[in-house]
Amino acid sequence: MPHAISVDGLEKTYRSGLFRPTTVKALQGVDLALEPGRVFGLLGPNGAGKTTLVKVLLGIVKASAGTAQLFGTPVTDHQARQRVGYLPEKHTFPELLTARQMLDVYGQMGRVPAEHRATRIPDLLDRVGLSAQAERKIGTFSKGMLQRVGLAQALMNSPDLLFLDEPTDGVDPVGRRAIRDLLVWLRDEGTTIFINSHLLSEVEKVCGEVAIMNEGELVKQGAISELTAVEREYRLVCTPLPDDLSESVHQRLTPLNNETAPDGLQNWRVASDTRADLNALIDTLRAHDVEIEAIDPVRRSLEDYFIDVVSPPAA
Amino acid sequence: MQPTLGLIYLTFRELWAKKVVLGLFLISSLLLVMVAFALNLDVVDGSLAGLRLFGQTPDTVEGLSLERLVFGVEAAVAGAAYWLGILLALFATAPLIVSMLERGHIDLLLSKPMSRPTLFLSHVAGVWAAVAVLTIYLLGGVWTIMSIKTGVWNGSFLISIGLVVVMFGVMYSTVALMGVWTESTALALIVSYGLIFASLVLAGHEAIVEELGLVGSTAFSVLYHILPNFAEVTTMVANLSRAEPVTSWYPLTSSILFGLVAYALATWQFTRRDF
Repeated sequence: MPHAISVDGLEKTYRSGLFRPTTVKALQGVDLALEPGRVFGLLGPNGAGKTTLVKVLLGIVKASAGTAQLFGTPVTDHQARQRVGYLPEKHTFPELLTARQMLDVYGQMGRVPAEHRATRIPDLLDRVGLSAQAERKIGTFSKGMLQRVGLAQALMNSPDLLFLDEPTDGVDPVGRRAIRDLLVWLRDEGTTIFINSHLLSEVEKVCGEVAIMNEGELVKQGAISELTAVEREYRLVCTPLPDDLSESVHQRLTPLNNETAPDGLQNWRVASDTRADLNALIDTLRAHDVEIEAIDPVRRSLEDYFIDVVSPPAA
Repeated sequence: MQPTLGLIYLTFRELWAKKVVLGLFLISSLLLVMVAFALNLDVVDGSLAGLRLFGQTPDTVEGLSLERLVFGVEAAVAGAAYWLGILLALFATAPLIVSMLERGHIDLLLSKPMSRPTLFLSHVAGVWAAVAVLTIYLLGGVWTIMSIKTGVWNGSFLISIGLVVVMFGVMYSTVALMGVWTESTALALIVSYGLIFASLVLAGHEAIVEELGLVGSTAFSVLYHILPNFAEVTTMVANLSRAEPVTSWYPLTSSILFGLVAYALATWQFTRRDF
């Protein structure tokens, strides 16, 4: 089965100016392969090249070098977009049309047959919570409503691959929750979702995998759980430690905020160089009748990880 | 075919929301009402026995044949539709191409499974369709009313409807090309109107070429042959409205060629550029 997205050595250089031409390298040799059915988040600071990558994948911008395919079809072929839905960051919908008319027109452009559109439109408006606004003109919609009707537009052709550029931008918490629930439902239905967002907490809640882009390059990529795990550091939850533990054991345990620990238990941060070392420590604690409630790898937030990756190293 | 129809519909709807187009529609309706109710003709045995406009009898009615009256009214309406109609229609439609290219709108359109030439030409077809509907409404309406009232069925007048739509299409090709190239409505209109006014000078090419030297006359002739001959086509519209033969179709064919080249260039530019 072909990848939902397959990118190999993708480059894009923008040129401007006639007499004193300037060039900006927006993409510099990007490689990416995304399995179908995944929810993928693309992160990066402003100007990192995220939008350019999405635009190349959708045929809006032409690559300077390299190849890109959607489900095995080159993005230069418009048929590649047959199974694709897209919600751009700054969208402009025809304000004179009602929500139902707008979905009908864009569904038509997405080659959705008339009989499917007739059933799909009320269904989608219901899913995004706009059933009551079906006959209302788009021009009267709030930012959050526009975002939701935009999402419905992206889903008109029941896409296998959905590109969302800042989908929750400008949406209130209730609307954001509704969009997130919809994305989870789509993920469970097997839709591949590619989210381009600055809202890291939102990405963390929905995406399984992320990539971080900086200065036109993909600098990190992987499952969120892997990327945010701190190497060989663990959080230990256990019964209070006895006083007769050796100094060397105490030195390896750093107390954490115990307010978050269940009643009578303590939180400790454990550093160990090897798996054997960690197991030896546990054996020692168990030999002193310490009961272990939990031991997990310590994780940073995605935001902390992101800032570490994209911040320039201190001079 | 589905994406094409969707885009034609969208363009059509966007255009009909413009106040200028609504204004053109209202003026056309007013004119039709005037021709239908304010112009009273007494026709006896196929001849004009009397004429009243808003209840008044014009002094010039004596000696006026029924045919001349019908041809005169139709020629006046066709001439107005040709000059005023096309200038206003260009003014109304020019912003559409630039608004289609706006970020957020073009992104959505290009993300649909249709080729760029299809997208661009569907948009153009939508604009043409809207202008054709307006032209058929006005000129077809006048023709029908006049024909029913007088019994003079001037078939060649209907060809002038086609001429108005085709020449609008020719001039819109400039708007489309400049719009895609510069994304400036103002510049697109300036170039388009500039060509229309230049055609007034080009129309006198035979007399002007005689006055120029070799280089000047050659340059002028080249311009005459490659630029649209908007003004000269007016004569064709007038001739057809009066059921007179057209002496030369060259101004039309050279204008159509100009339009085809401009559309080809606009499509090429639209296909190759980034958005």
